[in-house]
Amino acid sequence: MSNGLKLVLFLAEILTLGSAVLVALHPNVLYASVALLFAFLGVAVMFVYAGADFIAGAQVIVYVGGVTILILFAIMLTQWLYKLNLREIPGKILLPILVVGVAVVPALYKVIRELTAFIEKAPPTDLEKFSSLPKTSVIGQALLTNYVLPFEAITILLLGALVGAVWLARPTK
Amino acid sequence: MNILNWATGLHGYLFVGAAMFVLGLIGILSRKNAIGILLGIELILNAAGINFVAFSKYRTASIDGQMVALFIILIAAAEAAVALAIILRLYRLRETIDAAEANLMRN
Repeated sequence: MSNGLKLVLFLAEILTLGSAVLVALHPNVLYASVALLFAFLGVAVMFVYAGADFIAGAQVIVYVGGVTILILFAIMLTQWLYKLNLREIPGKILLPILVVGVAVVPALYKVIRELTAFIEKAPPTDLEKFSSLPKTSVIGQALLTNYVLPFEAITILLLGALVGAVWLARPTK
Repeated sequence: MNILNWATGLHGYLFVGAAMFVLGLIGILSRKNAIGILLGIELILNAAGINFVAFSKYRTASIDGQMVALFIILIAAAEAAVALAIILRLYRLRETIDAAEANLMRN
């Protein structure tokens, strides 16, 4: 991979992390959800670089085009824009940062150290070939052979979730 | 160039995934707004997807991790639809989406 391509991936990672910081910490939920859109876009670029072209497309269509718009709709339907109760109380953020920093971050650090050391001892041989291969037909065949049971289960889950969402959001009498 | 090589390999993917997970957790814990909590959950699900896709390439060089990432995306979409329906319902009933105010079943 050339240095220019690496720089693009690096910038996408920076975009993802910066947007994720805004999502977690911005006091206004409307701005946080717009930042979430850019975080999803950065993750889609990362997927492309990991050889997951189909997943990147699904990420853009489902997350950027679907979930973010749905969340924006919910914000507009439930709250007045820029009203005071849209904002969170400042100063409440310190305790969660402390708890997560003490309890979660060291564990994650140790896991990543050991996992990367383990994987770099025996990397897969056909890595370049895997990255450049188009994945759509492979995924389609896998969905109807090895993954047919999860595929059918997820169709029922989606049907149930959509019917349930419509039923929950029905107008009150 | 050293940082560039580090960030574009397995380390970079795992670092971004872990950082997104931590930020999502902080978002969930620090917000009282139900939609804000949902934003944190979406961040965490996406972090899991990043990890699966990265291991799919760097550990096995096969399609299996990508299939799991695909199912994660589908489940997250279903979850967002149901969660937002519940939030709209709560808003109609109580005129608020503050998660601390949702105490209909407390007594």
